[in-house]
Amino acid sequence: MNEQNDTGRAPVDQHALALINGSIDGELSSTEQDELDRLLVTSPNVRKLNEELTTVTRLLDELPEVEAPHYLQESIERQVRLPLQSDAGLEKTGRLGGWLSTNWLRTGFALAAGVVLTVSVYEMGSEPITARDSANLSGTIAKRAITGQQGVLLDSIQLDTSALSGLVELRNEGELFTLDVQLTSDGPSELVVNFAGHGLEFDGVTRLQEPVDSVSVVAGAIHLASHGEQRYTVSLRRISEAQQDAPLQLEFFANGELVQQAELNVSKF
Amino acid sequence: MHKDKDAALVNDCKRGDRRAMTRLVSQYQRPVFNAAYRILGNTDDAADATQTVFLKVFEHLADYDQKFKFFSWVYRIAVNEALNQVKKRRSQESLDDGQASSWQGPAEALDSKRLCKRVQDALMLLNEDYRTVVVLKHISGCSYQQISEILQLPEKTVKSRLYSARQLLKKTLQDDESDQQGQ
Repeated sequence: MNEQNDTGRAPVDQHALALINGSIDGELSSTEQDELDRLLVTSPNVRKLNEELTTVTRLLDELPEVEAPHYLQESIERQVRLPLQSDAGLEKTGRLGGWLSTNWLRTGFALAAGVVLTVSVYEMGSEPITARDSANLSGTIAKRAITGQQGVLLDSIQLDTSALSGLVELRNEGELFTLDVQLTSDGPSELVVNFAGHGLEFDGVTRLQEPVDSVSVVAGAIHLASHGEQRYTVSLRRISEAQQDAPLQLEFFANGELVQQAELNVSKF
Repeated sequence: MHKDKDAALVNDCKRGDRRAMTRLVSQYQRPVFNAAYRILGNTDDAADATQTVFLKVFEHLADYDQKFKFFSWVYRIAVNEALNQVKKRRSQESLDDGQASSWQGPAEALDSKRLCKRVQDALMLLNEDYRTVVVLKHISGCSYQQISEILQLPEKTVKSRLYSARQLLKKTLQDDESDQQGQ
């Protein structure tokens, strides 16, 4: 690094250069700092280089923090796959029946949009809900259990991949939107329903066949993990008119891989 | 950068606790994004890199060796991902010659935004090895030892690269200023 020659000045030796940089980084011993201080007094070239490098590092240190895009955190969280929660915490979660019958559950789900939330939050202490818990929850979560196809059919998506196949239908009745899910997979599968910004709140899941392994609502997305023959209904409720025509975005995963993305029109016309 | 706290959150994530994942993402999203931004020089690429970094982090959580600090591991993935994107971008398109925009006058006279752009432009002219150590030192605030751990390089090499990078930045900024004054 002899570019100082370009300026017509004699190059500063490597030892002095190391002292200058070490001083800038606060890494010099007192002896080394004394040595540099002497050089700064006796050598104009060292003094000049010290000033220049100090300016460069100050400019670097003063570069402002750049604001990350607002969607980034939510987008990351939505895509991250974690292992299904084990049954290890079951004993600590206590009886499900008691709290299932309270309004806490629905109140909790109503907070889903925009707030990072998992079903483990509810009045259970700090332990996450387990796969077995979720299975027990299914069928009892929704107060307004939809046990059959109700409402006007708005849209549907047919899946036919090697790992996951079936049908999802979106229906509407009043303020209630229901996703009737009928899927078949050999291995673990997951349906992610993104409803953030649609003016909807999560209203519950009703199991009709096979347990849903886990249900979580995170940052405006419902994650439903299951396997085998699956039939369940996801309910969403209109709470505002915001973006009421924006389609619901669905992502289907099988064996941890995204196999299909789809949009379902919320508006009939 | 709290090792024990991070280790506990990592263990919770391994058990499938999404709240722990959210906390780790919250904690490291901004610094990772900023490091990526300074290496890549644009917001969209930095956001893509950051997203990929976290997907890789959680996908490979089982491989994480807890004898290392979690942040070092995350930064290592971040640096590698950013550098991969640099390579990918280079193979797709020639670098924008207009990156080093004209110097608008002496540093003292520049408004802060322009000055930042000049410094970022100068940073982008460094090769990736030099840029990475500068970013880890001055943007991420890592010590020589931490940079050494992240890049898996001897401290001596880290220092050497950092000192050389500063000299090159100094020269680039001085040349820009000279060019501007000559116009």
